[in-house]
Amino acid sequence: MREVVCVKRWVCLAVFTLGVAASAQVLKIAFDAADLRTLDPHYASATMDRAVVDMVFNGLVRYKPGDITVFEPDLAERWEVSPDGKTWTFYLRKGVRVHPFTGALDGYELTSEDVVFSLTKAADSKTSAYAGEYAGMTFAAVDPYTVTITLPQALSPSLFLPKVADYAGGFIVPKRAYEALGEKFATNPVGTGPFRFVRHVPAQKVELAAFAGYFRGKPKLAGVEVWYMPDVTARLSALATGEVHLIEGVREQAWVDTVKRMRGLVVDVFGPGETHILHLNMTKSPLDNPIIREAIAYTLSRTELIQAIGPDLAEPLCGVVPTYLAGGLSCDEAQARGVFYEADLAKARALLAQAGYPDGFSLSAYITERASYRKPFENIQAQLARVGIKLEIKVTDHSSFHSLIRQDVNPLVHYEAWRPSADAFLTRFYHSASIVVTGAKPDTNFSHITEADALIEQARAALEPAVQAALWKDAQEVILRRAAALPFYVLKFVFARSDRLDYGYELKSTLALYPPINELTSLK
Amino acid sequence: MTRRFGGRRLRAFVRNRTALVGLVLTLVVACLAVLAPYLSPHNPLEQNVYNMLAPPGGTHLLGTDDLGRDVLARILTGARVSLTVGVCSVLIGAVLGSVAGLVAGYFGGRVELLLMRVVDLLMSFPALVMGLMFMAILGPGMDKLILAIGLVLAPQVARIVHGSVVAIRQTEYVTAARAAGAAPGRIIVRHVLPNVLGEILVMSTLWTATAIRVEANLSFIGLGVSPPTPTWGNMIREGVRWLVVTPWLSVFPGLAILVTVLGFNMMGDGLRDALDPKLH
Amino acid sequence: MGSYVLRRILVAIPALLAAYTLVFLFVRVAPGDPAVAALGDYASAEAVRALRERMGLNDPLIVQYGRGLLGYLGGDLGRSLITGIPIGTQVASVLPHTLQLTFAGLLVGILLGIPTGVLTAVKRNRLPDYLGRTFALAGLSVPAFYLGILLILAFSVRLRWFPVMGSGEFSDPWANLRHLVLPALTLGIIMTAFVTRMTRSALLNVLREEYVRSARAKGLRERTVIYLHALRNALIPVVAVVGSQAAVLIGDSVMTEIVFTRPGLGRLMVQAMNQRDYIALQSMIVLYAGLVVVINLVTDLLYGVVDPRIRYD
Repeated sequence: MREVVCVKRWVCLAVFTLGVAASAQVLKIAFDAADLRTLDPHYASATMDRAVVDMVFNGLVRYKPGDITVFEPDLAERWEVSPDGKTWTFYLRKGVRVHPFTGALDGYELTSEDVVFSLTKAADSKTSAYAGEYAGMTFAAVDPYTVTITLPQALSPSLFLPKVADYAGGFIVPKRAYEALGEKFATNPVGTGPFRFVRHVPAQKVELAAFAGYFRGKPKLAGVEVWYMPDVTARLSALATGEVHLIEGVREQAWVDTVKRMRGLVVDVFGPGETHILHLNMTKSPLDNPIIREAIAYTLSRTELIQAIGPDLAEPLCGVVPTYLAGGLSCDEAQARGVFYEADLAKARALLAQAGYPDGFSLSAYITERASYRKPFENIQAQLARVGIKLEIKVTDHSSFHSLIRQDVNPLVHYEAWRPSADAFLTRFYHSASIVVTGAKPDTNFSHITEADALIEQARAALEPAVQAALWKDAQEVILRRAAALPFYVLKFVFARSDRLDYGYELKSTLALYPPINELTSLK
Repeated sequence: MTRRFGGRRLRAFVRNRTALVGLVLTLVVACLAVLAPYLSPHNPLEQNVYNMLAPPGGTHLLGTDDLGRDVLARILTGARVSLTVGVCSVLIGAVLGSVAGLVAGYFGGRVELLLMRVVDLLMSFPALVMGLMFMAILGPGMDKLILAIGLVLAPQVARIVHGSVVAIRQTEYVTAARAAGAAPGRIIVRHVLPNVLGEILVMSTLWTATAIRVEANLSFIGLGVSPPTPTWGNMIREGVRWLVVTPWLSVFPGLAILVTVLGFNMMGDGLRDALDPKLH
Repeated sequence: MGSYVLRRILVAIPALLAAYTLVFLFVRVAPGDPAVAALGDYASAEAVRALRERMGLNDPLIVQYGRGLLGYLGGDLGRSLITGIPIGTQVASVLPHTLQLTFAGLLVGILLGIPTGVLTAVKRNRLPDYLGRTFALAGLSVPAFYLGILLILAFSVRLRWFPVMGSGEFSDPWANLRHLVLPALTLGIIMTAFVTRMTRSALLNVLREEYVRSARAKGLRERTVIYLHALRNALIPVVAVVGSQAAVLIGDSVMTEIVFTRPGLGRLMVQAMNQRDYIALQSMIVLYAGLVVVINLVTDLLYGVVDPRIRYD
């Protein structure tokens, strides 16, 4: 027995010394992922990749750290737009250094040449996943510190600035580094951000080091390690023992409550959150009958779905654009417009009988094995069963799910999404051009709705923010009236951290979908 | 078959305590599976989002899962799935594998070479990866899962049957039958098959154990029987998310797997001892 | 013996080719698309098409097939479709972890399994035998991932003796070792079960043989009889089974790697499957099939070491 205690103390002691001595000032984050996918910012779409990209690169403008409702200068000191709204001019900050890389061991100064190169890359579908966002734009370097962007049609700031912000295609990739590294750039990114890439240990981690030449000043941390740990128990244990300082959590109430009670740990629940919406395929019988769709809308209880996830994490969503974006539709507004649905089983049964299905019917749909999709879908299955609608669920891996729903096999598609603007939400999910398989530019219009096209296009062209927001709300009313999509909730993000970690800003919402780490972040 | 598995061996089997315990365990699990709807006061599919992750005790003897469903009822229902998948996939695997093994072993020559090469090839993949690949192609569903596991087992069956047949094809009665001009199909069915059937039967209990484990593995990775049907593998997978919060969610279904697989393994072991006089 | 090894390797080539062909067709028949997997929920048809083009997936199948094959002939395993990292580099970085885990599991299995096996055989039909056999059967019945979960629950979550995270780096042997303990124990317990059973039945067979009886008759001490004469001969089938179980062990090590989030060949393979990383999956399966060939060969050669009567010509 004495031996056991001895071993235990000895081990604990070792953990203690290793934990404190070796890793002081190096922040360790663990993500729910097996490995990285790509660190080319113009392709990165998964949270763990966006996290690294976010620390390594900058945009022309940036979302204020911790608050996505405000734009701040980033690589550009200031910007202006021409009276016709079609030409934007950005004046770059001087003395911005690019991280060192093979071929330029001291880095070099970022200029307009790099910005034009990067935007051109982001606009090319051969080198970017976000090319559609930049269709028809031209980019020009007026002088080393001035860049102009010309649009085919005028866009309001709330639609244009996200395209040049520190997100997706807006991240600026330094030209010489990209050309020097070629294919390797995706796993060896070089940018201008507070941390520079050091190395990638496959299936384990990525190491970043503080970039002393960062234009906002030397980071307080010595470096950041991004760990890939697909198991939440492993992540939490590692956090509890001090092996890591920040982890991706489980987006459910019970987990948050449990971790909150653990000593020395803090749980952050933050926005903007992803929308959870059920898309009803209007071309598949019997969902082609609007009465049936309405019956489903009156069957499903938003309250129950939210309860299954947890009220702290899931906020009610009544429009298809969340209210944190300009043009979002609140529950009160939906109610006022007469497109608010909540469970009313008697009404649902009456509607089913009216449509000729008094005993319900059967449906069969694929869902991914991921818990954040599968769990609500299982609850939807149980709820539909109450009115006799038998939903057969076919669980498949995540990539097959995304392929299959894009081949239009599902009568019901449960989709978790985040998009930077109301226009992106509406165009990609509800414009006829985006209809899966048969649309002009097939995307994610799973319901096959066509009736909202005119309003979506008018809103996109509107320059007056109030007018634009009103049009976006009108478009949503059309979609909801046809019960083409049933919005349930916005699911927030959950990260747990050691109380030693200080972000250096107040965390309310973040586009990177993780709590951003920047030059001000520190470990106490 | 009666000739090979006669009264003397039956007695040996009964005397074999391991086998007996295994048989009892298996029967208990089978009874629970059959009687599941009558044993549990709760519906395994009924959700209650206002009583999620309840601890064991009270009306929910083993607590509730993350959708408020009764864990005991789900474990009992899961027994049906595990046994159905185990038995059916072994049937498929045994039939496919036996045909391949019999044909290869009896005819020899090029047929044998070709078939056994295919068997070797399939066996060089890890069972899990093979199961993953079959599931990826077949798609989700219990029927697909059974087929996939059957296909994973078939090469193992083929190899063992092949081995037995090679030993038998040289024996006098087969040579005699062949000399008498009997058709190959008739010889296989009348003379060869009965002689390997005993072994197939014994091995089947062991394969069932394997099948249940493969099912659990696939379910644990997230591919397998579709919800809301509970399976032990699925339940453990779900439970693992809550390991720190409610460890019992994965511990109980795991025990169920352990007991069931142990039952089949003990029974198979005992049967094999009873059939193999060398060990006595 | 050299020609024997050469012949075995030559025979393996068609098998590897068949494995490649099979997997090549398999992954392309299955639903799912590496471009969609890479783009995630953002995937629009346009972006998917462009990425597929870049990945070379729009080329005729025969061209893709040939490209992979030519690469293998030149010793090139290709690049991951998702990350663009050479598969060779990826495998090289995780293989040491897989080998470490497998060997550690094997070592635990042999160190615990052979003595337990001998004990059960010697004390046949007495209490130690029943206990040993029950333990062995339980070990064979427990799914690796479940055993792993129980160990994590006990030693990491409750007692906090061992870390759960990753595998530690080889440059830090102490951390590396601490990371190894629980996974190796998981695998080792299962392996111990195998080895115990094999040793027991092999020893029981041998103890009935003529030379053991005569050794006993000569008045040699029981211990000498068992360890010097019987065990040595009993080891042959044990080695055979341990060798043939190496494939099973690798299967269990996949689940162990998943549960312990350890980097390794198995996890890499499952991940490639999930992301439909065709190239990575093909290459890893071929590599894996090759590994099985090598393991089988080594097992056969080991026979010769334990049993000098076996000769290779």
